[in-house]
Amino acid sequence: MENITKENIYIVIPAYNEGAVIGEVVQGVRQNGYEKIIVVDDGSIDGTFDAAVMAGAIVLRHRINRGKGAAVKTGLVAAKNMDATAVVTIDGDGQHDARDIELVISPLLFEGKDVVLGTRMFATKNISLYKIVANRIANLLIRILTGIWVSDSQSGFRAFDAKALRLLFDVGDRYEYDSEIIRQIARNGLKYKEVPIRVYYTEYSTNKMQKQGIINGVKTFYRLVWNIIS
Amino acid sequence: MLTQGVGRLIRNFSSQSFLKIAVRILVWCGMVIVTFFPSVTDLLAQFVGLEGNINAVILVGFLLVFLIIFRILSIIERIERDISILARKDSLETLYKGK
Repeated sequence: MENITKENIYIVIPAYNEGAVIGEVVQGVRQNGYEKIIVVDDGSIDGTFDAAVMAGAIVLRHRINRGKGAAVKTGLVAAKNMDATAVVTIDGDGQHDARDIELVISPLLFEGKDVVLGTRMFATKNISLYKIVANRIANLLIRILTGIWVSDSQSGFRAFDAKALRLLFDVGDRYEYDSEIIRQIARNGLKYKEVPIRVYYTEYSTNKMQKQGIINGVKTFYRLVWNIIS
Repeated sequence: MLTQGVGRLIRNFSSQSFLKIAVRILVWCGMVIVTFFPSVTDLLAQFVGLEGNINAVILVGFLLVFLIIFRILSIIERIERDISILARKDSLETLYKGK
């Protein structure tokens, strides 16, 4: 296994219209000792790009919106080209706690895992029943489609080592990306671990999630199935 | 449509091949013949051996439509993927240029 240190760990943050919070997210990561931060502005029409630059991140910009999966992939390609030995992805809406980066990196360092999946602790937070049920249904569908049971298939807080970085590129561009990573873990026989992480659902992030809604959930499922049969 | 197609063929447009115009003539002539002489379809049914089982023809039609839809979805998906690859290359270029 290649030597993983804080200096060659890259933090990839996909962001779409997160101008209001992206600066804080980047600052939070930096305060925890990580300086290699790649923000991928996925065609935002607000001040996301400038806010991320001001906060000190390496910022890449998609001219048009291509979806979360496409943005993460761009960040992973950039990190790989900059000789990253490990990458942590976190969401750009401020729902994650940068202190948990240590928790998701630890199994890569000490347990020889290839992928670590951050699992949001829904039970301890004030989260709507709808959100919890939707997540459980998604987990069940992932179990049927991939054969792997995970507690939180839709979490964006994940860590990948160099081996996983080489293998995990055949995934979808939109929100099905999160689920497709699980399929790729199964297909490539990668060693993975789930780690509990904190989650903060602010009014801001909750409003963003509501925009995803049921229709987007159905679309995501359709795309996931389509990617398997096509 | 027919005259337009024939005109394009005569003017030697690169997008208009003889095969395309032949298919177009076949489809339109077929529609005219069936409209004025509906009994021709009986001969067609006899010829393909599906006399008395027109449901099979309809089902085959549906199958073809589904296949076409599947093909179109595949094309759209490929184009979407290509757009993402272009967007990625474009954004990474700015990184390599050190902007």
